[in-house]
This record gives sequence, C-alpha cells and structure tokens, in this order.
Amino acid sequence: MKKLTLIISFIILSISLTGCGYEELNNLSIVTAVAFDKNEDNYELSFLIANAPKAQTSAKEGEAKTTVYTGKGKTIAEASKDIEQIVPKQVYLGHINVVIISEDIGKEGFLKISDWLLRNPQTRKKFYLLQAKDEKAKNILKIVSPLESFPSQSIATLIESNSETKSIATSITYSNFISQILEKGYDPILPSINIKGDVKKGSNEKNLETTEPESYLVLGPLAIYKGDKLEGFATEKESWAINVLNGGAKEVNYNIKYQNENISIETSSLKSKIKIKDINNIEITISGKGDIYNINNKIDIENYKEINKIEKAWSKSLKKDLSKVIKKIQNKWQADIFGFGNLIYKNDPKTWKKIEKDWNFKYFPYLNIKIKTNLKIEATGSLVKTIKEEE
Amino acid sequence: MEKIEKNAKKIIEKTKKLYGNSPDLNTRIINIKGTNVGILFLESSSQASTISDFIVKGTLYTASNKNIFQNIFDALKNNLFNSQLFTINDYSQFPYFLSSGFTIIVTDDKDEAIIMETRANLDRGVTESTSEPILRGSKDSFTESHSKNLGLIRKRIKDPNLWFEELKLGRRTKTRISIAYINGVADNKKIKQIKNKLEKIDIDGILDSGNLKDYLIEKKSAFPQIQSTERPDVVSEALLQGKIIIFTENCPFTLILPNVFIDYLHTSEDKNQKSSNITFTRILRFIALIITIFTPAIYIAITTHDQNTIPDKLLISLAIQREGVPFPTTFEIILLTTIFEILRESDLRSPSSMSAAMSIVGALVLGQAAVDAGIVSPITVIVVAFTSICSLVFTDIDFMNGIRSWRFIFILAASLLGIIGILSFAIIWLVKLSSLENLNTSYLSPFAPLEKSSQTDAIYKAPENEILIRPNYISKLNPHRQRRSK
Repeated sequence: MKKLTLIISFIILSISLTGCGYEELNNLSIVTAVAFDKNEDNYELSFLIANAPKAQTSAKEGEAKTTVYTGKGKTIAEASKDIEQIVPKQVYLGHINVVIISEDIGKEGFLKISDWLLRNPQTRKKFYLLQAKDEKAKNILKIVSPLESFPSQSIATLIESNSETKSIATSITYSNFISQILEKGYDPILPSINIKGDVKKGSNEKNLETTEPESYLVLGPLAIYKGDKLEGFATEKESWAINVLNGGAKEVNYNIKYQNENISIETSSLKSKIKIKDINNIEITISGKGDIYNINNKIDIENYKEINKIEKAWSKSLKKDLSKVIKKIQNKWQADIFGFGNLIYKNDPKTWKKIEKDWNFKYFPYLNIKIKTNLKIEATGSLVKTIKEEE
Repeated sequence: MEKIEKNAKKIIEKTKKLYGNSPDLNTRIINIKGTNVGILFLESSSQASTISDFIVKGTLYTASNKNIFQNIFDALKNNLFNSQLFTINDYSQFPYFLSSGFTIIVTDDKDEAIIMETRANLDRGVTESTSEPILRGSKDSFTESHSKNLGLIRKRIKDPNLWFEELKLGRRTKTRISIAYINGVADNKKIKQIKNKLEKIDIDGILDSGNLKDYLIEKKSAFPQIQSTERPDVVSEALLQGKIIIFTENCPFTLILPNVFIDYLHTSEDKNQKSSNITFTRILRFIALIITIFTPAIYIAITTHDQNTIPDKLLISLAIQREGVPFPTTFEIILLTTIFEILRESDLRSPSSMSAAMSIVGALVLGQAAVDAGIVSPITVIVVAFTSICSLVFTDIDFMNGIRSWRFIFILAASLLGIIGILSFAIIWLVKLSSLENLNTSYLSPFAPLEKSSQTDAIYKAPENEILIRPNYISKLNPHRQRRSK
C-alpha cells in the first residue's frame, strides 16, 4: 500500500509539477541568428526566429518561415527584453548559429556588447561571428536564400564552405574572437558579409521563386580590428593573402604569369609556419602542393625541367604578393593580425613586457619579415600533355 | 491410509457416494463362483473399448476357467494382460487413479485392489510450436500430456543420468510435477532448494506451470527470473548446461531454472547458425533492448528539458511538427504507448481472423488520422512505433512486460528531470538488476560478477567447437562440455 501511494504520487507529481527546465518545443521561439546595430544612442538587437509556422500549409520539415524581430534599448539586455515583449513565445537562444555586428558596433568597441551573449546560460558560444559591411546587420538577417531553408543556415554554410577554398573569408567563432582580443600581441580579424541587390526584394519570399535571385548575400573582405575596435576593411586580394599567411586557406587557386601566359595552380594543402628569430626578424615558411589546372599550349609539361621552372615562378610570385600585403598591414593598419607579438610573448615573456605598450606603433611596423616557400607541383590534372595542334 | 473392505458391492456404493453419483462413474459386478468382482472406472477419462477388450473379457475368461474356485484376486492378477498392472491397499488413493483414467478391480476375497491403466487419449498430438517460432531447428513442441513431454526429452537425451523426480501438488488437482535434471551435471544444492520450495506449497490446485513461478523466486522484479518454454530442444539444451527443468502435468510450458538476463538475448536457433553472424545478431538484440527501453524517455528529455542537445535543423523540424499539438509531450507519448499496449493485448486475445481488421484500425485510424487531426505529432508516432518494433524482438512475454514497466518508469523520470532523470533511474535500474539473485545465481551473470570462462557464449558467441566449458554460474560440477578433438 505504501509503495502504491508512492508510485501514484510520483506519477501525479511528474505530470503536474514539471521541473523548472521544462519547456515544450512549440512554446519556444528558436533564435538562430542575432544582429547587433546601433541607432544613435540606442542599441538595436535583432533576432531571427526560425520556427514560425507557415500559414495554411501543413507542417513539414524545412517549411519553416523565418521572422526577424527587433528591439531597442540603452543596453543589450534592455533591447532583448524589448523583443520578448513582442514575441509571443519564450525566446530560446540555445541554437544561435550566426551573430552579425554592424560597423557602428565595431567602431565603438566589441567588448561593450559581448557580455550579454556570453553571460546567458542558454547560449552555446560556438556560433560564427561576422561583420556587416556597408549595410545594417539587421538587414542581412532578412535575406532569404533559395538553397537553404533559413538565412542563418545559409550564412553558416557560406562561411564553412568558403573559408578553406575561396579564402577571402575565414570562419571565426564568437568565443574565438573574444579570446583573440584578450590575448597579448594579437589583433583579430573578422569575415565580413554584405548584400548584393535590394534588401526589400531579398527579404520577400518571392526572391525564392525566381531562378536568378534579385538579391543575395556575399562574403566580403576581412575586417581588421585593433583590439576590440574596427579599423577598416582589407581588399579582397589582401584578405586572400592574410588567410594564406594565417594558414586558414588550404585549397586556393593561384594564377601566375609564366612566359607571358597565365597558368592556374590549384593548391591542395597550403601550410604556413611562423618562426621568431628575434624581436626584429621573423620568418614565415609557406609550404604546399599544387596541381596545374589551366595551361596554355606552348609549354611542354612532360618535361620536369619545365615544371621546376613553373614552381620557381610560382614561389617568386607568391612571395612578392604576400610581402606586399604584409608591408601594407605593417604600415597602414598597424594591427598585428598574424599574432607575431603573441609568439614573442610566448617565447620570451620578459622582453614582451618591456615592449608591450609600444608594440603596435614602434615595433610591429618595422619588423623584418622574410618569406620562405617550399612549393611543389605534384600533378598536372587528368591530362598528361597540353592540348596543341599538330604542326 | 484407509483400508479396503473385503466387499466389492460395499466399495462400489462407497465410491459412488464419494463421486456424488456422477453418471460418468461406471461400475460393474461380475460373480465368479460366488465371489463378487467389482470393476470401477470413470467413463470420462478412460477408454471404454480397452476395458471391454481386456478387463471384462479377461475377467469372464477367468470365470470360465473350471480350475479356479478360490483366490479369485490372485487369479485375476495373473490372467489380465496390461503393461501397467499393480495392486494397492489404500482406499484413499482410489480417486486419484480413477480420475487419471485407471480401472480398479476389487474382489470379495482380498483387501487389495488391482489397478490397470486404461487411460483415454485426451491429448492433442505433438504439433509445431506457435509461441516460439524459429527458422532453423526442430519444430516439435510439448503437449498437455505429461508422459509425452518427458518422452520428448528422453528421446533427445539417452543418458540414464537424466533423472525425473516426481511430486504431486494441489489438494484437489493432484497435479504431477516432474523435476528433471542430469545427475552429475546439475547442482544438487539447487535441486534441493527447488524441491524444498515446491514441497511447501499447499494449494487447492495447480493448473499451469506459470502458477509455480511465484513460489520459486526469491526477490521480486519486473524482469522474469524463470524462463518458460514449450520447445523440447530448448529444454534439452538447458539440461545439458546443468539447468533444472520443471514439468507440470497438463501444461505444455516447462520452467527452466536458474535463469539469467542474458538468456533472453539468446534464442534456441543460435546454436544452429554460423557463430560470427550470431554475435552480430545478439548485438542487434542488445541495441533493440536499449532502444526499446530508452527511446521514448530520451525523446521526452531532449525535447522538453535539454533542447541544447539536438542539432539545429532537427530541432526546428521537431518544433514545427509539434506546432498545434494540444498535449504535453509526456502525455502524448504515454497516450500512444498505452494505445499500442492495448492493441497488442487485444491482438493477443482475439481470434486471428480479426487481427487484420485490428491492424487497419491501429495503423490507419489511430496513426494516420491522429496525426492529420493534429492530436499527436508525427515524430511521436515514429518514436512509439520504433520502440514497439524493437520490443517485438523479444518473444518472452514476461520479459516484454518487464521492459514495458521500466520504459514507463523512464518516461516519468525523463518528464520530471530530463536526461539527469534518465541517468539516475538507469543507475537504479542497474543496481536492482545486479542485486537480483535466484538459486545463488546472480541475474547479470556472466557479466556481474564477471566470469571470464563463460564469455564464450554470452554476447560474443564462439564457434561451437571452441566452447569447451559449460557456463559456470549455472553449475560448477563436471565443467567440461567437450574435449578438444585431436
């Protein structure tokens, strides 16, 4: 009898007194992307909510309609409370994929707003962080993509697929970015994103129905930060070089001029290694293998001597490109995005303490950086010879 | 002990009174030279033709013999032909023999009675097993006939060390219970324990071996500690392993003791197929076991407490599916599981001609329509269906019911505490299982306690020619099962 009452009370309790963490899925508004904007004195916080059911159709996988809600406030927390007043369901931040910050926020200092997402116990802290370029961060959330069911997903896949191949962007997570800011001798970079086309047209569902979408998202060049403040944007070519130097880009396409003809080389595993010789001398080794993908008909690539010559030309050209970019970063931005200072700090903390304050202005711009290459052409693609007419 | 009177007529009157003048009690008095010979039998349980052919004829033939004047009893005893003929001198044994289909012959000149076997054939023949179907293996199954059942085992194990010990249980039913074991292989202590437990039973009737189960276990548990089977090959295999079998009269199901958890992951077919495939099948069965116990609970836990653990796309898909469902997830799951259990129960009890209608109602009306009407979400139907399919891997009904009760416990724990609830109850579950013990055999053998020598046939199945030793948690006597061939 005692056991029976115990069991019955357990059943009644479990159904009526559900614990504090209990929340039914359909009572949640699942936020998959967050955008930070600044509007004069107020912060603007935007949530992309992924699970708004489509009107009139029966619920099926992937048929979600996304909605963007925006709230204003003197602080981010106030803005989020502002949104919670509009959204009828409980806002759930556990599945954020992407966070986008506007240029205003970047210029003001990222650490001012970073606290709220980190402090929130729901969030995973492993979402991608992107810089909106020439556009409000909020608008980027609005663009619907025909290939992915909701915008946050399309941004995340864009970043993931591009960071290793196209290589003008790199994937950086929120917590990664913050730790880079806080680390000694390190200035962070962020991938940027902007909209090609009209925001209004891109946010309409009709954008999905055309074969050529009227507006879409593109990844832009890297945003360069100094500490937690946005300095500016690099060019696309510079972004590419930065990614190669950082070791982020592995499969990139590189064009060289050889005997006045363009040769395209597809690298398969590009690696970079930074070595500190002393405070003033730094050596970067780029090593990797490449395949020839595009070659004109005059060159006899069956001859290994010819291949060696191409390799040399490739090394020379790459060295030139990279050192040009490094010079520009040293002089124009004065932001240590490669983490040279950090390496010095790790190797020799005592010296670092002396130079820490003046690093960005007195030491970093005058570093003597030497680039070494170790490049090899492994294969010539599916063709052994070049295509040429019989003479 | 009640003496038999030297008066056939009186005895017949007495017996008729004892049976309340039931019309199936047939009696006949034949006078042989002044001595009354009484013949008693129950028409319902004996074969009338045998009685006429052998007993009445034999008696009359004896009567016609001119040399006989006295000692009619001994003359009858020597002249009647029957393979089973013996004498008793206790009247109180009369009802047992009459009801069992024996014919009793009493005379005026001796205080003993001749008992002859004239049993009617009230059994069905040996048929194919319906409750434990297999693909490869012998297909016969036990019947309601006690001697036939024992015969099916004797036929398989010709060793004289296969011993049967018989006792009768039930004040009214006087059911024959046989304890079978192989002498020298089975553990004597366990046999004694079983006998002690059975002898203590004082009940009016035992009709099925299932009635005995509760007397034989020591600790209560949702999981069965005694296996019951109707397959003679399973019983023979168990006997060879040193297990003890209990046969019950009029019941095709035998009990196998001692029984451990891992036995439910085995089937009788395991020996007949390629051993490496069997290892894989057993792993599948184990996965099915885990799935069928935990899936609904995990589904509840991750959708109501720990949404963080679900991948983004799945979470959104789940959330959209749940849109518009009026009930909490826990209630939804309990509702559907209950409906399935009712379906299963009604399918078991109904004649097979109706099961087609039932499956249409079950699958279409309850599944499809409930989803379309928005009463339950499609994913819940998938979860419950998956769980149920996995539970059907196990044929033992007691085991299935044990799984079911723990599944409900885990569902409640998950709805209360999420994944932490499942984990804590899983620990309680394991503790309960490992503390279970019957006949000095712990339930999780050979894993807890770990018996290395018995691992050749637990989850992993070694090739048959490499299993040299019997599972030592069953019996430690005579451990060698086979010698390595030279």
